[in-house]
Amino acid sequence: MKKGLCLFFVFVALLIVFPLFFRNPFPRHLLIMIMMYAVMSIGWNIIGGYGGQVSFGNAAFFGVGAYASAVLLTKAGLSPWTGMAAGCVASLVLAVVVGYPCFRLKGHYFAIATIAIGEIMMGLFMVWDFVGAAVGIYLPILPQSFRNFEFHATKLPYYYIMLAMFLFAIGVAFLVERSRLGYYLRAIKDDPDGARSVGINIRKYKLYAFCLSAVLTSICGTFYAQYVLYIDPPSTFGLMISIDLCIISLIGGLGKLFGPVIGSFVFIPLVELTRVYLGSEGQGIDLMLYSLIMIAVAILRPQGLFGLFARGGR
Amino acid sequence: MRKAIALFCFFSLVLCLGAFRADAAGKEIKIGVIYPLTGPAASTGQVLLEGVKLAADIINNKYNLNMPLAKTEGLPNLGGAKIVIVSGDHQAKPDVGMAEAERLITQENVVALIGAYHSAVTATASQAAERYGIPFVNGDSTSPTLTERGFQWFFRTTPSDQLFAENFFQFLNDVKKKKRVETDPVAIFNENTLFGSDTTKFVEKFAKQYGYKVAGLVSYPAKSTQLTSEIQRLKGFNGRVVLQTSYVADAILSVKTFKELNFAPDAVLGNDAGHIDPEFVKSLGKDANYILSREVWALDLGAKKPMLKTVAEMFEKRTGKPMDGSSSRAFTAMIVLADAINRAGSTDPAKIRKALLETNLKADQLIMPWDGVKFDQKTHQNVLGKGIIVQVQGEKYHTVWPFDLATKDVVWPFPKWDKR
Amino acid sequence: MEIFSQTVVSGLLIGFLYALIAVGLTMIFGVMDIVNFAHGDYLMLAMYLAYWSFALLGIDPLYSLPAVTLALFVLGIATYYLLIKKIINAPMLSQIFVTFGLLIFLRGLAQFLWKADYRAVPHGVLSGSLQIHGVYIGIPQLAAAAGAVVCNGLIFLFLRKTRAGAALEAVSEDKEAARLMGINSDRMFALAWGIGIASVGVAGALLSSFYYVFPEVGGNFGLIAFVVVALGGFGSIAGAFIAGIAVGLVEVMAGYLLAPSIKFVVVLGLYLVVVLARPQGLLGKA
Repeated sequence: MKKGLCLFFVFVALLIVFPLFFRNPFPRHLLIMIMMYAVMSIGWNIIGGYGGQVSFGNAAFFGVGAYASAVLLTKAGLSPWTGMAAGCVASLVLAVVVGYPCFRLKGHYFAIATIAIGEIMMGLFMVWDFVGAAVGIYLPILPQSFRNFEFHATKLPYYYIMLAMFLFAIGVAFLVERSRLGYYLRAIKDDPDGARSVGINIRKYKLYAFCLSAVLTSICGTFYAQYVLYIDPPSTFGLMISIDLCIISLIGGLGKLFGPVIGSFVFIPLVELTRVYLGSEGQGIDLMLYSLIMIAVAILRPQGLFGLFARGGR
Repeated sequence: MRKAIALFCFFSLVLCLGAFRADAAGKEIKIGVIYPLTGPAASTGQVLLEGVKLAADIINNKYNLNMPLAKTEGLPNLGGAKIVIVSGDHQAKPDVGMAEAERLITQENVVALIGAYHSAVTATASQAAERYGIPFVNGDSTSPTLTERGFQWFFRTTPSDQLFAENFFQFLNDVKKKKRVETDPVAIFNENTLFGSDTTKFVEKFAKQYGYKVAGLVSYPAKSTQLTSEIQRLKGFNGRVVLQTSYVADAILSVKTFKELNFAPDAVLGNDAGHIDPEFVKSLGKDANYILSREVWALDLGAKKPMLKTVAEMFEKRTGKPMDGSSSRAFTAMIVLADAINRAGSTDPAKIRKALLETNLKADQLIMPWDGVKFDQKTHQNVLGKGIIVQVQGEKYHTVWPFDLATKDVVWPFPKWDKR
Repeated sequence: MEIFSQTVVSGLLIGFLYALIAVGLTMIFGVMDIVNFAHGDYLMLAMYLAYWSFALLGIDPLYSLPAVTLALFVLGIATYYLLIKKIINAPMLSQIFVTFGLLIFLRGLAQFLWKADYRAVPHGVLSGSLQIHGVYIGIPQLAAAAGAVVCNGLIFLFLRKTRAGAALEAVSEDKEAARLMGINSDRMFALAWGIGIASVGVAGALLSSFYYVFPEVGGNFGLIAFVVVALGGFGSIAGAFIAGIAVGLVEVMAGYLLAPSIKFVVVLGLYLVVVLARPQGLLGKA
């Protein structure tokens, strides 16, 4: 365990000094994206990995987070940080409204229900004029400041904000793993009937997990909106975002603390590599590659790559 | 542990590949070009890039064409410096477009950017250019909002959907006069993503301005499994003219459904996109006949504009594909930008920006059916742009409007399905 | 009134087709408790097969239907032996990821092989429309609906009247008991996959004479198939048939009465309401 802890601190130290060695925006952008997907996948992993409830609809929380802050900024002039909090509240409400009834559903029913919810959210935001409907929202370019959550000259502040969110997410996951919640979730996943018979309120704990998942995804939505400064329904509610989160968690290791982190550090660079080196002749190859990894991991190594990297294989 | 190191090395390698791309110095002017070179719109992205490349070739070498910089080698005011194109791929994703724009600006040190086809991506990529103070010339994104953001560094050569929507009513007025027919009221039929809803907003606005009654509006979700109920509603409005905005899949499906439901208004006027896609006529065959569409460019304009024909032939020789509205607009964006850089006599972004603002190209210097290129001093939208209207006749597109550029007379009304 | 009856007719026509697409999905689920997320993408493969046999060989989708169906039958069995067999006793998470991975793989494959272009069969043998009391019925749609009814009926009869069908039912009731009775459950599962995928083969061939093909075409139809299956009850053939028609009607009615741009929202909302109020669906086993 001590060795693991050392490794973790070395890892964090490397992330902190990284921008000193890579001054160009592209590598910084790449790392920001890796950490953002890691945060969302950690969120997904809490409900999907620990709780065993496959959600294909987590993009809904990403979209809600992005839209909440963007709407409050453009319509009411509120700081995106307030918007981030509002986004979390909205996502929590959505998580409870969706989760409370849907956690009665078993496995596939739940998975399909989450696809439906993601698509419904996308459909509604496509036609909702108040939030720009299909046109989306252009965020105003404001003077750069921490309060405005906009930085134009350098990506450094974005990088460190994301790093802070990343460490926060790891902290949350660490606490979940250590807490009664994590224990119950694993029990529910492994043996739902057994868990129920010892008096665990299954729905309640799944709901807690779903709420944590929603919050972690929602703050990334706000970050994304402030980072890219333009949002529209396909880029925030897209089904592919939800699927990416599953793939990342799966290849890293479901229900493992560092699974999604490893998954993200492997998957996102892989996406970049295929984009840069396959070119247009290879369209579709990237999808085939990801899906083969997904299928292979699910069949051969359902515990993910986690063991492979951290414990030298099993 | 060893594997963790291996992972770290792999990751660093990826970053290094991105970070250290060799920089070639010399008398070169680097222009960054961002298009969807992979992903769902890859084939269009490639064609756009080829358009830009052809323009660069004409600028860098001697050609006997009446367009800026064709007759000289390179940019004369910069000592014959050559244009070098550095391309970036955005995969139709807004965040990737932004990252690519930043990469081109900061790592490739491009002096200006061209792109990016998808309006959503142009929105984010031009934001990056705005932050770094680099001119961004857009030749092919038509969302009107783009030039309403008050950006300093963003210029658009193509007309926006706003102007195209106005063209619809100018065309209807002209037909009304020429053919002595009624063209009122109109019914609007559009898909509900950015393109369709934006256009519809302006179609409604100009309908009012031109005194046309809108009999009804149906907006449907793109890629529906069927459009029967939508088209029934549309039929119920009894509009004389249907103004439709669709991508190709829905355009094909809707014509099939028109026929199935025996719906034949006086005219079906499509809005570019789906109605001019090569697949549209290919899969509908003779059922596509007499459909009208707004277009930005057509090969048969060459009959009235010989230079267009020469350039289109050069394009086809280079790429094996016919030139189209996308490649011709990308081509024009490059010419306009190069002309400005040459007049600026410098690669200083501020000077290029000033030169762009002073751009004044004439109709005969362009391969577009426009009256010229001149940017609005505030919005930086080209104010001399213009669309054309084409009609499918004998399973081929022919320009039918504006009447002075037309190669065929417009067939009006749309013949009933059982009488053709 | 005419518009109303036209709407009903259109809803019925598309509903029969939805039922046919859904029947294979529900059958596979009924027999082995696996949801095939890639179901819609087999439909896409079938449509491409029909399209290419028209574009390259000049064979109308109507005539290539038997060949397409057979090809999909073989493909279904191959999928079972190569992939599904390995996860039949795996945790549900693995099952979901494998069939979902298959979905992404098939789309990537189609994009790679055939590019993202939209393709449609122009002027098939089936074209034109009938007019009955002011109601227009497209002939390709009518043929597809008829094909769907016949095909659904055949599957229903197969399960009820043949020995193989009875064996399938037995396996789906109780795998262990069936094994004791000497039924090879492996072969039964393969058969279920064969028939389940072959039925989308029929649907794909019929659909291709009036709908276009592109790599993601399976998305919308696949999602609707899930709604249909959930509505009818996972595993219930008759349920899928009724639910298919209901979804078709709801979709056109929502498009006509409310707003077309939210018709899918209404259909998906219907799914949620049904699975929450009655998780076993209309005719499903509780």
